[in-house]
Amino acid sequence: MILDAKVPDGPLAEKWDRHRFACKLINPANKRKYDIIVVGAGLAGASASASLAELGYNVTTFCLQDSPRRGHSIAAQGGINAAKNYQNDGDSIFRLFYDTIKGGDFRAREANVYRLAQVSNNIIDQCVAQGVPFAREYGGQLANRSFGGAQVSRTFYARGQTGQQLLLGAYAALMRQVNKGKVTMLSRREMLDLVVIDGQARGIVTRNMLNGAVESHAAHAVVLATGGYGNVYFLSTNAMASNVTAAWRAYKRGAFFANPCFVQIHPTCIPVHGTYQSKLTLMSESLRNDGRVWVPKNPDDTRPPADIPENERDYYLENKYPSFGNLVPRDVASRNAKEQCDQGKGVGSTGLAVYLDFSEAIKRDGAGVITRKYGNLFHMYEKITAADPMREPMMIFPAVHYTMGGLWVDYNLMATVPGLFVLGEANFSDHGANRLGASALMQGLADGYFVIPYTIGDYLAGIPAGSRDTDHPAFKQVAADAQARIDRLLAINGSKTVDEIHRELGLLMWDSCGMARNEQGLQQALDRIPAIREDFWQNVTIPGSGMELNQSLERAGRVADFLEFAELMVVDALSRKESCGCHFREESQTEENEAKRDDENYAHVSVWEYTGDGNSPDFHREPLAFENVEPSQRSYK
Amino acid sequence: MSEIQLTLKIWRQKGPDAPGRFQTYASGPISTDMSFLEMLDVLNERLTREGEEPVAFDHDCREGICGMCGAVVNGHPHGPEKETTLCQLHMRHFNDGDTLVIEPFRARAYRLEKDLVVDRSGLDKMISAGGFVSVNTGGAPDANAIGIPPKNAEEAMDAAACIGCGACVAACPNASAMLFVAAKVSHLSLLPQGHPERARRALDMVSRMDELGFGNCSNERECEAACPKGISIRHIARLNREFLKAAIFSEEE
Amino acid sequence: MGWITSLYRSSIGKKSIMAASGLLLCLFLLAHLLGNSVSFLGREAFNTYAEKLHTMDTFLFVFEIGLLALFLIHIITAVLLYLENLQARPARYAVSRSGGGRSPGSRTMPYTGVIILVFIVVHLLNFHFTDKSIPVADLVRGLLSRPALGMFYIFSLLAVALHLSHGVWSLFQSVGFNHDKYNQVLFKGALIFSIVVGAVFILIPFLALVSRNFLL
Ligand SMILES: Cc1cc2nc3c(=O)[nH]c(=O)nc-3n(C[C@H](O)[C@H](O)[C@H](O)COP(=O)(O)OP(=O)(O)OC[C@H]3O[C@@H](n4cnc5c(N)ncnc54)[C@H](O)[C@@H]3O)c2cc1C
Ligand code: HEM
Ligand code: HEM
Ligand code: SF4
Ligand code: F3S
Ligand code: FES
Repeated sequence: MILDAKVPDGPLAEKWDRHRFACKLINPANKRKYDIIVVGAGLAGASASASLAELGYNVTTFCLQDSPRRGHSIAAQGGINAAKNYQNDGDSIFRLFYDTIKGGDFRAREANVYRLAQVSNNIIDQCVAQGVPFAREYGGQLANRSFGGAQVSRTFYARGQTGQQLLLGAYAALMRQVNKGKVTMLSRREMLDLVVIDGQARGIVTRNMLNGAVESHAAHAVVLATGGYGNVYFLSTNAMASNVTAAWRAYKRGAFFANPCFVQIHPTCIPVHGTYQSKLTLMSESLRNDGRVWVPKNPDDTRPPADIPENERDYYLENKYPSFGNLVPRDVASRNAKEQCDQGKGVGSTGLAVYLDFSEAIKRDGAGVITRKYGNLFHMYEKITAADPMREPMMIFPAVHYTMGGLWVDYNLMATVPGLFVLGEANFSDHGANRLGASALMQGLADGYFVIPYTIGDYLAGIPAGSRDTDHPAFKQVAADAQARIDRLLAINGSKTVDEIHRELGLLMWDSCGMARNEQGLQQALDRIPAIREDFWQNVTIPGSGMELNQSLERAGRVADFLEFAELMVVDALSRKESCGCHFREESQTEENEAKRDDENYAHVSVWEYTGDGNSPDFHREPLAFENVEPSQRSYK
Repeated sequence: MSEIQLTLKIWRQKGPDAPGRFQTYASGPISTDMSFLEMLDVLNERLTREGEEPVAFDHDCREGICGMCGAVVNGHPHGPEKETTLCQLHMRHFNDGDTLVIEPFRARAYRLEKDLVVDRSGLDKMISAGGFVSVNTGGAPDANAIGIPPKNAEEAMDAAACIGCGACVAACPNASAMLFVAAKVSHLSLLPQGHPERARRALDMVSRMDELGFGNCSNERECEAACPKGISIRHIARLNREFLKAAIFSEEE
Repeated sequence: MGWITSLYRSSIGKKSIMAASGLLLCLFLLAHLLGNSVSFLGREAFNTYAEKLHTMDTFLFVFEIGLLALFLIHIITAVLLYLENLQARPARYAVSRSGGGRSPGSRTMPYTGVIILVFIVVHLLNFHFTDKSIPVADLVRGLLSRPALGMFYIFSLLAVALHLSHGVWSLFQSVGFNHDKYNQVLFKGALIFSIVVGAVFILIPFLALVSRNFLL
C-alpha cells in the first residue's frame, strides 16, 4: 500500500489556501444530517467538538474524566507559540515553521508544519476572544516570553497555567454547544474499540465507567483526540488516565501507527523519591534560564551540596556546550543527566538526580528578583519535596513527557481508515522526532479549531447523510468482543496487581527504549515484553465486577494495551538505526557523542500496519521531502 | 524521610443507592514523602492483594490542576493544608499514630457514585448555562485589538484559576456553589470580551445554580478557606453585584 | 413587577433582601439605642422623651407598620433560606471542622435570630402592649430590675450583638461591596458596631439590676 499524504500542490505558503478552496462544502442545512463522534476532550477534542457543533454538525463527545474540563491538556504550564511577531523581534510564519521543522530534526512533513505556523495566529485571536486571560504588558498589550531556547519571544502564557486557561476556553465553547443541544457530552466513557464497516469508520464502542455498560455509538465520522501514550513507561509527567487504548484499538482495526518510538523526555522534573511513586511532576523549563546544572566531580562525594567547594563541582553542560550551556535542547540536557548518573555521579537518596543551583543567580540578581521569577515553581517544589530551592539547590531528573509518535494521518488529518480523523498528541503529524516547547498546545488547537472543520466537511460531502444507527452486525460483534475482553480480564484472578506489572513494563521501557537505545537492549526488551504480557494475562488480579465503577478494571484494560503497544515501540526503535531528535541510537553518534542523523536512509516516517496478533507488523515508509528548508545537523557546541 | 503509621477510617459505599459506612484500616508504614493519594495507592495495592475491593477515588493529574481529586479529611475538604489539593498534600503533614477520617464531598447536588467518588456534573451544568463568551471559531479580531489593563487581566486570572474541584461546595455549611460560580462570572466580567453577555451570564448561571439544589451563600467564608487555588470571596461580592445589577437594571429577563 | 418575584426566587435575590431588611433593622436599632440612651440622663429626660415621641402618633403608626413589615420580611426570608440550606446537604459529615472562615456570629445566625424573635415578643408585651399611662422610666426600671427578666434581657442582647457581629459585615458582602482598601475598616467597624450596640443596650438592664438609683 502506498501512503498518500494528500499534500496539496503549489508553493508552501499557498497550499492550505488552495486546499481549503478545493475542499468540498456541505450546505448549512444539511450539516445537521451528519453525526460526528469526538473521542477526547483535551485541547484538540474540545476545540474540535465546539467548532464542528458551531458549524451545525451533531457532535457526541466522550471523555474519561467526570468532566471535559479535566483532560490532560489542563496540566500544560509553559505556554503556546504563535508567529504574531508582536515583539518585532524578527519572528514570522516562516521562522516558526523553520524552527519547528528543525526542532523536529527534519522528521516532520513540511506542508503540515507550515499550516500549523500559519494558523497559529488565529489561535491566539480566538483564545483572547473567548476570554483567556493571557499575561499583559503595562500598556495592556499581550506579553510574550522566549521559551525552550527559541531565539524570538513568541510564547503566550497565562501564569504557569497556560494549558489550563486554553482548555477552559475550549471547554467553555464546548459547554455552550452542550447547552444548545448541538453536542452530547458523555463523560466517564472509555472508548474500547472502533467500529469499521465497509472500510469506513462508522462508530465506537465504549464502556460506561459508572455502571460498566458496554455501549455502541454510530456516526458518519469518528475523530480521535485521545492524547499521548507516555504512560507506557508507568512513570511520566502525563495524567494518570493518559493511555494508548483508543489509538491502539484503531490501529488494530486498520489505522496505521507512525513513529511510535519518538518519545520526548523532559530534563527538569522532580526526581523519583520512592517505589510507591505514582507519577512525575514537571518543573518548567524556564528554570534553566537562571539555574546551573551540576554534579559532584567525585562519585563518592556524599557531602551536602553547600559543603562541596566550587572546584569539586562539575558543571557538565556549561563545560561541554560552552555556547548554549544550561540552555541546550531538552533531549541533550536529558541525555547528559542520565550519563552523569550512569557514571555514579548522581545525587540524592536514589543517585538519580542532578543539582539545579540558583545560588549564583540569587547572588547576582538578588533574592527578590529570583523569587518573583520562580516563586510559584519553588513553592510547588517545596510542597512536594519539603526543600527550599532558595536555600539549597533543586534536584532534578529527566522524565517521559510527550509522545511525538501517533496514528498516521494525511494532510486532512485522516488516518488510513477513511472517516477516522486523529487530532492533537494522538496523531504523529507535526513534531517530527522532537517537539519544541509550547508547540503541543498550538498543534492541538490548530487541529481542532482550524483544520478539522474544513477537512471533515470534504470527507462528509462524499458520503450520504441521514441517520446512522448501531443495528449493523459489526456493532454487535465489536461490542461482544469488548465485553469478552472485560470478562477475560476479570476471570484471571491471579495474585499480582495491575500496577505491579505496569511498573515492571515501565522500567523495562525506560531502560531499553528511553533516553538512549541500542540494538542489544532493544532486542532484550523484545524478548521480555511478551513474557510480561503473559504474566499479566496469567497472574493479574482485578477485584470487583464489571458492572460497576471499577478502577482496577479500567487500569487493567489500559495496561493490557500498553503491553501490546510497547512491542511496536521497540520494533520501531530497532528499525530506525539512526539517531534523530529524541531517538538516540548509541550506534549512531558523532565523535563528540552527539546524535548523528542519517538522512540518506531514514528521512522518512516509519509507519506500521497491524497484521494480526502474533504477527509482526508490516512496515511502510512515508518519504519526507524538504523543498523549502535544508536539513542541517544540529550543533549546540 | 521517615515513616509513620496511621489509622484510616474511610467511607465505603458500593454504589449510589447502597448503604455506606466507615471502615477502619491500619495504614501500614507510610513514608512521609508520599502524597496523600500515594498513601491511598499503597492501601489499595494491599487490599487488592488481599482480594478486597480497593477504595475508589477520583484523581488524574496529581499536580493540583485538573480538579479531579478531593475528599474530606478530618473535616477539611482536600485536607488540612491551605491552598493544597489532596493530590499535592504530603504525608509529612501528619503525625505518627494519627487517625484520619476520610469521607466523600457531600452535598445534595453531588451524587455519591462509589466510596469517595462523587458526581460533580452540576458544576459543568452551571458553566453550560452561561460561563462562556458566545464567539464562534473564526470570527475573532486580532488579539491585540483591545488592550486590557494588566491589573484586570491579573484579577481575571485569579478568578480563572479555579480548577472546578468543587471543594467550595463541600466546605460550605450550606453546600452553596457560590464561589465556583463567582469565579467564572468574575473572570469574564473583568475582561472586555465578557461584557456583552455579563447580565445574561450572571442571571443564567445563578438560576441554574438554584435549580440544581445547591444551597444559598450566607457569607460563611469556609469555601475560601478550603479552596485549593485561594479563590477569594471578593469574587462572590462581584457576582452579587453583577447579579443584582442585572436583575434590577438590565433589560434581560 | 415580575422582576421582583424572580429576584425573590433566586438565592442572591433573597440574600439581598436579607441585607436590605437587615440594614434597615440596624438603623432602627441604632435609633432605638439613641432613644434609650436618654435614660442615662435620668428619669425626667427619659419620660419627656417618651411623651414627645408618643405625640407623633401618625408617624409612629406608619413607622410601626413599616417596622413590622421589615421584621416579617427578614424573618420569613431567613426561614426560607435556612430550610433550603438544610436541604442542600442531606447527608452530614462525620467530622466537620472549620477551615477558619466561620465566626461565632456566622455560625449561630439562625439561633440568635430565634432568640431575638422570642425577645421581641416578650419585649413588646413588656413595653408596647401594656398600660401606656405608666411613665416609661418606671416601666423600664420596674421590669428590668426583676432578676429573671433582667437576665433574659442581657442574654437576648448578647444574642443581638452576636447576630450583628456577622450581620453587619455580611450585609455589605451580600450587596456586592468588598474592596481590598476598605475591607479591614469595614470588618473592624462592623465588629465595633455590634459590640457598642450590645454594650450600651445591656447597660440598661444591668444598671436596673445593680444600680440603686438608675431611673429613680
Ligand atoms: C506536565 C506537562 C506540561 C506541558 N506543558 C506544555 C506547554 O507548556 N506547552 C505545550 O505546548 N505543550 C505542553 N505539554 C504537552 C501538551 O499538554 C499535550 O501534548 C496536549 O495538551 C495534548 O492535548 P490533546 O488534546 O491531544 O490530548 P489530552 O489533553 O491528553 O486529552 C485526551 C482526551 O482524551 C480522552 N481520552 C483518552 N483516552 C480515551 C478513551 N479511551 N476513551 C475516551 N476518552 C479518552 C481524555 O479523557 C481526554 O479528554 C505539556 C505536557 C505535560 C505532561
Ligand atoms: C435594654 C434594652 C431595651 C430597652 C430598655 C427598650 C425599651 C423600649 C421601650 C421603652 C419601648 C417603647 C414602647 C412604646 O413606647 O411603645 C420599646 C419599643 C420597642 N423596642 Fe425596645 N428596648 C430595648 C431593646 C430593644 C431591642 C434590642 C429591640 C430589637 C431587637 C427592641 C425592639 C423594640 C421594638 C420593635 C419596639 C416597638 C416599637 C414601636 O412600638 O414603635 N428593643 N423598647
Ligand atoms: C433587630 C433585629 C435584627 C437585625 C438588626 C438583624 C440584622 C441582620 C443582618 C444585618 C443580617 C445580615 C444580612 C446579610 O448577610 O446580607 C441578618 C441575617 C440574618 N438574620 Fe437577622 N436581624 C434581626 C432579627 C432577626 C430575627 C428576628 C431573625 C430570625 C428569626 C433573624 C435571622 C437572621 C438570619 C437567619 C440571618 C442569616 C441569613 C443568611 O445569611 O442566610 N434576624 N440579620
Ligand atoms: S472555587 Fe476553589 S474550591 Fe471551588 S471549585 Fe474552584 S478551585 Fe475548587
Ligand atoms: S462557605 Fe458558603 S456561605 Fe458563602 S461564603 Fe462560602 S459559599
Ligand atoms: S488529581 Fe488533579 S487536582 Fe488532584
